[in-house]
Amino acid sequence: MTGRYPSQVGDRVRTVAGLLVLVLLLVTMSGSRSLAAPATGPATLVVPISVDARTLNPNWQADTGGYHPSSNIHCHLVAMDWGVVKGTPVYGDLADSWTADAAGRVYTFRLRRNARFHDGRPVTSADVKYTYDTIIEKRYPLRAYLADVKEIRTPDPATVVIELNGPDAAFVPMLGIASNWFGKILPKHLYEGKEWPTADVNARPVGCGAFKFVEWARGSSFTLEANPDHHMGRPKIDRLVFRIIPDPNVAYAEFMAGRMPYLPFDYTPPYAEVATKLMKDPSMDVVFTPSIYSRDFYLNLRREPLNNPKVRRAIAHALDRRAMNQLAFYGLWKPSWNAGIDALPAFLNKNARYPDANRKLAEDLLDEAGLRRGPDGFRFKISVTNYPVTDGRVMAEVAVQQLRRVGIDARWDQYDPQTWFTRLREGNFDISTYFVRYGPDPDAYREHFGTGQARNFMGYSNPELDRTLDEARRSSDPAKRLPLYAKVQEMLVRDMPYINMFTERKISLVRKGWTGFSAQESGYNKSMTWFGYANVAPPR
Amino acid sequence: MRLRRFLVLRMIQLVPVLLVVVVLNFVLIHLAPGDVALAMAGENPDPVYMAAIRERFGLDKPLHVQLLTYIARIAQGDLGDSFRSRRPVTETLLERVPATLLLVATALAFSSLLGTIVGTWIARRAGGGLDVWVSGLAVASYSVPVFWLGLMLILFLAIRVPVFPPSGMMSVTGVAPGLARWLDILHHLVLPALALSTVWFGQYVRIARSSVLQVLSEDFVTTARAIGYPERQVLFGHVLPNAMLPVVTVLGLQLGLVLAGAVLTETVFAWPGLGQLVYESILARDTPLIVGSYVVMGVCVVAASLLVDLVYAALDPRVEL
Repeated sequence: MTGRYPSQVGDRVRTVAGLLVLVLLLVTMSGSRSLAAPATGPATLVVPISVDARTLNPNWQADTGGYHPSSNIHCHLVAMDWGVVKGTPVYGDLADSWTADAAGRVYTFRLRRNARFHDGRPVTSADVKYTYDTIIEKRYPLRAYLADVKEIRTPDPATVVIELNGPDAAFVPMLGIASNWFGKILPKHLYEGKEWPTADVNARPVGCGAFKFVEWARGSSFTLEANPDHHMGRPKIDRLVFRIIPDPNVAYAEFMAGRMPYLPFDYTPPYAEVATKLMKDPSMDVVFTPSIYSRDFYLNLRREPLNNPKVRRAIAHALDRRAMNQLAFYGLWKPSWNAGIDALPAFLNKNARYPDANRKLAEDLLDEAGLRRGPDGFRFKISVTNYPVTDGRVMAEVAVQQLRRVGIDARWDQYDPQTWFTRLREGNFDISTYFVRYGPDPDAYREHFGTGQARNFMGYSNPELDRTLDEARRSSDPAKRLPLYAKVQEMLVRDMPYINMFTERKISLVRKGWTGFSAQESGYNKSMTWFGYANVAPPR
Repeated sequence: MRLRRFLVLRMIQLVPVLLVVVVLNFVLIHLAPGDVALAMAGENPDPVYMAAIRERFGLDKPLHVQLLTYIARIAQGDLGDSFRSRRPVTETLLERVPATLLLVATALAFSSLLGTIVGTWIARRAGGGLDVWVSGLAVASYSVPVFWLGLMLILFLAIRVPVFPPSGMMSVTGVAPGLARWLDILHHLVLPALALSTVWFGQYVRIARSSVLQVLSEDFVTTARAIGYPERQVLFGHVLPNAMLPVVTVLGLQLGLVLAGAVLTETVFAWPGLGQLVYESILARDTPLIVGSYVVMGVCVVAASLLVDLVYAALDPRVEL
């Protein structure tokens, strides 16, 4: 009796296993068909994004996931994309042209007459005024860029006049960069009298962008379709789908499996694979997009011993950009020794230069500062934290090792994005990786280094630098501004509240034949923000 | 009558459990640095805007006032609105529950059934070569981190040999509704369900094996065999019902975590379920959504333990409700 049992069980196990295999085969075959069959009919572009949107009206809150769909659904007064690295700080989206008065205080924008919302109503100056006035009144995020606005006038439906309290040469370019996130022009006739956060139209947005809203499968995807009546012409693809893929490894896998033709640089493909494999792969283009951002170390000047200039200089000597480039980026990034950026050469002061790596000099300076090595071989303890993105992480990891070599007992502390940002804002850190944005107008220095400014986490305060930045901002004459910004860079390298290490190098992957992505040169100056896909074309 | 009393008692027990869940999570979220106003204001925050947000959501009030207000709201069955999307929490959660249920229920059914069968099978050959190998594999599958296993499955079964889609719940282009859509979802379900059930499978093998082994050595089994009952009857009629209690316990625990247990798997496979939502909400400090999710999960845990107790009573005549 016992002898018969195992064979019966075995038969059943085999039957169950057989059935399972059959189901799996059926499912696999059904899926294989959908994978094997290329998309026919409409040209569809699938793009991964790392996080779902909160709403489809990003004007009232920061919304990382929302910028992608909303930048394609909505339009902007002016826009900026990666063409900025080739010298275009801003260009018109709704605005056909604009002029400034001699003082640089009153800006007059002429709107395109063929711009329409997706419901067919024309876009007029009243919509621009309504959007900007609401932002200013409610102090929504774009207000940081509109803080100096005295009045917005609409003399006719195609003209917007923005009067500032004082001259500001950077006003339009800064409005251009902000359009990547905020300042989507909303239809007054649908939003007026409603609170933006709760307006029902947010769920089925009506914009004036190159794509119309079709569907939002929450947590999964957004589907948009081409707007044939777009004021800049019909997009070259028919459908645009954003898929939410939080894990960068999985997004990379999706790209490698051929399920999407584009891996945006936010996902940062593995540096090692880019250097050793992908650059030789004939089926794809590895796109290196220059940037107006650098990657740096911010030093907290409120804290001992970083408040000692000798210690900061020693740290600058201890950090070896070339070695870090090899270890962190497989040599793919570009070290930088200036307080500016190559991509914006006009205002770069090449004579203001950070010290090069030199361990002996670093140790000598630390000895001079009275911070000698103790019995354990270390001089003092310090915490290194990082901007929570891939490059910021790998830089911090290498920096800890480089600092330890000169006797600084560095420890790597990692936090979730909110905790990290809160700590930086509160000045609760020693050293952190972060970025400096140098454009589209060099007034961007103010945001990072002006006393009490939003990104001045270092607690840096230099009245002379503040005065110089104010003077440069009030002038619209490049010949006058140039020496002022050169002086700013000299002060930064001398005082060293931050140490510029690399020019950011954005790495995207594009399947052969696809063109017009904002990261590619073919997409510069017409993508309508970094997140715009109106100009993308499939292989012929 | 006794059953009704038992159920009423358990419902009463639900109240302190949920209260602890709410208070603990509410306090923990507020202890974490940063708040939703900062998340909404972005990296160039306007203090007036942030103050308005805090006032709007009552975040400017003392913590105990916020907590009491929230508890009063929950007591009326209202989980509130999400800070970030301004949509009702209940509606947001309900949208995500089906995806999570599909994934976790599939994995749970697959791992518990197969794990129990395999565990029982090797228990009868304890000490043999097969037992050593299968037990070793079970420990390995139980120990492997689910996100790593997920990535490996994607690497081998979606890229090297592209038979399954790497992620997502359905194809975003060109699938007609009806049977084709369901097959498409099943096709997407294979890898995440395989990852999750592999990790759970080992647990069931180990528990079923040791439990069956213990029962097999009991006197009543020897007696049954001596009487001459067929081995199949001994196993299915006497051994398995007695050996199932620990398996049911683990199943109950996992059933309770059915909505919470797949955060990593959902993140790796971009599965649009509750786990992914909770993860995003924590990063954004969206308190109503986080606490609301945990309340629903708490209810699930209590309901599952109630179910386990009922099954215990049915399986084991010594257990009385």
